[in-house]
Amino acid sequence: MLSKGNQNMKLKSLLLATFFATGLNTAHAAEGELSIGTEGEYPPWSMADAAGNVTGFDADVGNLLCAKLEMKCHFVVQAFDGLIPALKAKRFDIIISGMSITAERKKQINFSVGYAELANMFVVKKDSNLAGVKDIETLLTSLDGRTVGVQAGTTHAHFMEKRASSAVLKTYDTLDQMQIDLASGRVEAAFADSSALQDFLGRPDGKDFQFVDVKVLSTFDPTLGEGIGVGIAQENTELKARIDKALCELVADGSIGKASQTWFKTDISRPCQ
Amino acid sequence: MDLELVFLAVPTLAKGLWLTAILTIASVAIGFNLGLALAVMRLSKNSAVSGFAKGYSTVFRGTPLLVQLFLFYYGLGQLSFVRDNAVLWWIIGDGVHCAVMALALNTAAYTSEILRGGLISIPGGLVEAAQACGMSRLLRFRRITFPLAIRQALPAYGNELVLVVKGTSLASTITVLEITGHAKRLMSQTYAILEVFAIAGLLYLLINLVLITLIRLLEARLTRHLPR
Repeated sequence: MLSKGNQNMKLKSLLLATFFATGLNTAHAAEGELSIGTEGEYPPWSMADAAGNVTGFDADVGNLLCAKLEMKCHFVVQAFDGLIPALKAKRFDIIISGMSITAERKKQINFSVGYAELANMFVVKKDSNLAGVKDIETLLTSLDGRTVGVQAGTTHAHFMEKRASSAVLKTYDTLDQMQIDLASGRVEAAFADSSALQDFLGRPDGKDFQFVDVKVLSTFDPTLGEGIGVGIAQENTELKARIDKALCELVADGSIGKASQTWFKTDISRPCQ
Repeated sequence: MDLELVFLAVPTLAKGLWLTAILTIASVAIGFNLGLALAVMRLSKNSAVSGFAKGYSTVFRGTPLLVQLFLFYYGLGQLSFVRDNAVLWWIIGDGVHCAVMALALNTAAYTSEILRGGLISIPGGLVEAAQACGMSRLLRFRRITFPLAIRQALPAYGNELVLVVKGTSLASTITVLEITGHAKRLMSQTYAILEVFAIAGLLYLLINLVLITLIRLLEARLTRHLPR
């Protein structure tokens, strides 16, 4: 009991020390904390380990942003389809979770400028007759009656509902579950962003699969968004202005491009207009 | 509450109603028979037979239904011998079939406990009287033991039926589009959480009200000899 008490004391003084240290270093001492909602199960964007530490492109963007804003960050891990409801319920201040900016989501929350954009692609079995399709219109019509897996609440799900409504859509809570079903043959195709699917193709489970060589971009259908942005509560306009400015600087000086190279082997940063 | 959303949500969620009903009916039909067999096994004098029934009930009542669903659907779905076996893949490969199996196996465990209670409550004198009349074991079970056990067990079994209806909502986690599955999809399209889930809740309440009424009517019929 005694040693436990001592440990508590130590912990408390450590916490106090940290608190004062950050208080002295930060310009915005009163509002120096920024909590970031992220999915934590979407490699290589956002991966959370058992201890709650988040790594990936989202984590890098979050840390770069916080350094720029001179704020202290911590991540809150939350399933993707619950991120917007949780932000509205003020469980965290912002969302950084590879979230595409869409008109539908904008009705609920505010977004920063788009700082990245990825191609969206389909993955099928190598021997599928969809594997050789080269253009988007043919691809969408040939999905008629086939089962396609998407992650619930994503722009991919909304795109499929709008542009390929004759396909049988299966929605999954996590990307992992969708990939298990793709590997086991429960779904014939999966639609997601190319980085997440690239990760699947690199695994033993994905060895019999390949991309359909069609890049689906937001220029083809606005359902797919206006790039990827930071989600911010609607009333938080002051924070949005600061985040926009910081992101533009981080894209301009190449920091976000560098993080993107680390995780995607390609630069997906999107310059500010 | 946004009325326009309510008008959008009701027909969408109603589409899931029939699948919720099918999941319930199919799993109860399988689960009741399996549960009855397990209850009879449980009362067997052969310790291997009664031990199996006891172990089954412990395992299925002691683990969450959601864990069972994930084990069957995602877990078994990864094994290649399951995928290569046409019969097994018919069950495991399809979300609805897999959900029916998990719900049936789960409710069978609870049903066996409920029916066991009913079976042991039957006074020994009644069984002896039937024996004295020269009834065979099967006839005795059909005419005396089973009807009386059901009458005893019905209130508790009604409770279990309500739990099965609510349990079907977990099938949404394995891509089945029953009421909750449609509600989750509609939520991510509209973000109208309050409206969508309030209506989903009302639909479940409606199903269970009908079910409870039917059980009450059956109970009243089975106990019509009793003074009120």
